[in-house]
Amino acid sequence: MSAVFDDGLSLFGVRRMMEGVIPPVLCTASPDRVPNVSYLSLCEYVDPLHIALSYQFFNRSRENVLATRRAALTLDDPYTGGGVALQLEYQRTETEGPVFERLRAKLMGVASHSGMDKVFHLRGADIYRVLEMRRVPGRRELPAAAPRVDLPTNSRLLSERMANCEDLADLLDTLLGGLADLLRIDHAMLWLFDASQQVLTLLASRGYPVDGAGAEISVGEGLVGTAVREGVPIRVGHMMNMATYARAVRERAGESGLNAVPAPEIPLPGLKEPRSQLAVPLRARGRVLGALLVESRHDQYFGYDDEDALMMLCGQFAVAMSLMQPPEQEAPPPATAKSAVPDAVGPLLRLKRFGRDNSVFLDDVYLIRGVAGAILWKLVSEYLRSGRCEFTNRELRLAPELRLPDVQDNLEVRLLLLQRRLAEQDAAIQLEKAGRGRMRLAVSRKIVMQQDAS
Amino acid sequence: MALTDDMIQLLSAGVAHQVGGCSNDGRPVVCRGLAAQHEAGRLLVIISAESGFEVLEAIRQNGRIAVNLTLPENYRSLSFIGDDAVVRGSGAAWRPLVNERHRAFSDQLLRFGIPPEYTNAWYSAPDEHLVAIRFTPTQARNQTPGPGAGNPVQLIPIEFEK
Repeated sequence: MSAVFDDGLSLFGVRRMMEGVIPPVLCTASPDRVPNVSYLSLCEYVDPLHIALSYQFFNRSRENVLATRRAALTLDDPYTGGGVALQLEYQRTETEGPVFERLRAKLMGVASHSGMDKVFHLRGADIYRVLEMRRVPGRRELPAAAPRVDLPTNSRLLSERMANCEDLADLLDTLLGGLADLLRIDHAMLWLFDASQQVLTLLASRGYPVDGAGAEISVGEGLVGTAVREGVPIRVGHMMNMATYARAVRERAGESGLNAVPAPEIPLPGLKEPRSQLAVPLRARGRVLGALLVESRHDQYFGYDDEDALMMLCGQFAVAMSLMQPPEQEAPPPATAKSAVPDAVGPLLRLKRFGRDNSVFLDDVYLIRGVAGAILWKLVSEYLRSGRCEFTNRELRLAPELRLPDVQDNLEVRLLLLQRRLAEQDAAIQLEKAGRGRMRLAVSRKIVMQQDAS
Repeated sequence: MALTDDMIQLLSAGVAHQVGGCSNDGRPVVCRGLAAQHEAGRLLVIISAESGFEVLEAIRQNGRIAVNLTLPENYRSLSFIGDDAVVRGSGAAWRPLVNERHRAFSDQLLRFGIPPEYTNAWYSAPDEHLVAIRFTPTQARNQTPGPGAGNPVQLIPIEFEK
């Protein structure tokens, strides 16, 4: 049986209606034709003739579908108020593979905002063949909104700007600046993934009162943590709506005696009340190196086209970041380089490290941890031992005491993060560039180091 | 069976209406409803004959109907099932009820940042397209998303006046 679509309609063309801004409505019927109407949480485009619907709970709809294999679905256009009505034939349920993973990632991204990770369990992706798709007649539709920017052209401009960057700091500033200037994305955070610690660290942000560099979240936490864990982009266009939906499920789960009902929602990072978010993984060489999170105070701010554009730009950023290792300096600078130790003025600066996670404190104020913390400890140790204040990336890379598996991939990034954290705190230790592949420690107070083994 | 007071209050709280049916050859169909009200143990629901033509056809075939009411502010969702649905009357007489329900629904969606202009697209049926369906609910189902969606909810047995 061939599919019957109204003129000009295609499943690809109605992808935006599957976003869940206006939840899709599913109608099934029992074998004796008793109808059942319910709302769905997720609908996903699969190919020109198939869609996938989330299967989370065994309920009346599913019982009907397994018995009759038929369903009707309506989708509403979140921009115009138009809609389409589909006739579906159930094909199969997938519990693995790309469609399942995409649906699961979206579900987890939404669930993580409400502490619903355990209850929002995706049992499967139900694959349906679309038998018919027709426009809902008789609606007075609004005109489609004009595009925010010329996305293809401006993405290309940003890509060209990024291609001209010579170091990581420049690349980072160019990306975040270009998002604002060219793509009108005013709130963005760039998170790095530390596989050894299984945490994400904020490298830089733009559009917030506080920069927040060095802040950490767990993998799987929030939209960005889920995008990193699953390695796919996740977009939520109407966050209040989804949060309300999640709360309803949680309450039903509680009434049903499900014991994995966590407590209150996890506070959203960044904007206090974002209406739209999009998290895009930074992927290079088959690995996820971090993620870009963009936010807006407007509903439905990011569409499929934004997702496509940011996937491309983030891919370019990730490859550039992983390749952007400056030429190695063969020999470290001579140990006779002039020490920056000033005459003793003011109190001692106390640098304290906790060995368990390499977290570093300056005068009892947390600075950074992990790879970046270990690097600072090494630099200052060497500085105090020999008076040397210039260092090369190469010697850090080869330093046996760092023993950090990730350092080969991220040294430049960690140095940049450390540099920005020190600058942000206006610390008495600063890290400056001293040429390609070289850095200089600038110290304005005397330092005492304190190692805590715990 | 009759609706509880709680259910009756839900009808005017600003709910979204969805009306489902199933043709004799097993084709499930659904359309957006415009208003619903309780009438002495029966439920009346208004739809647009143009957008709901398939639902009307299925109801005329077998009288089976499911009406889903969902309150956006908390996703509380109930369905009423019946098997004696009939299509009755049409026209401007239903306009005041439709307008009232439309206003309440728009107020609900405004909380989510969806402007009234948007819902106008759904409520734009001209008077001559407004159609009323009446039926006796034989079953109510809790359709709030989550485990157990579709499970029955108690209705009140009707006590006829003597």
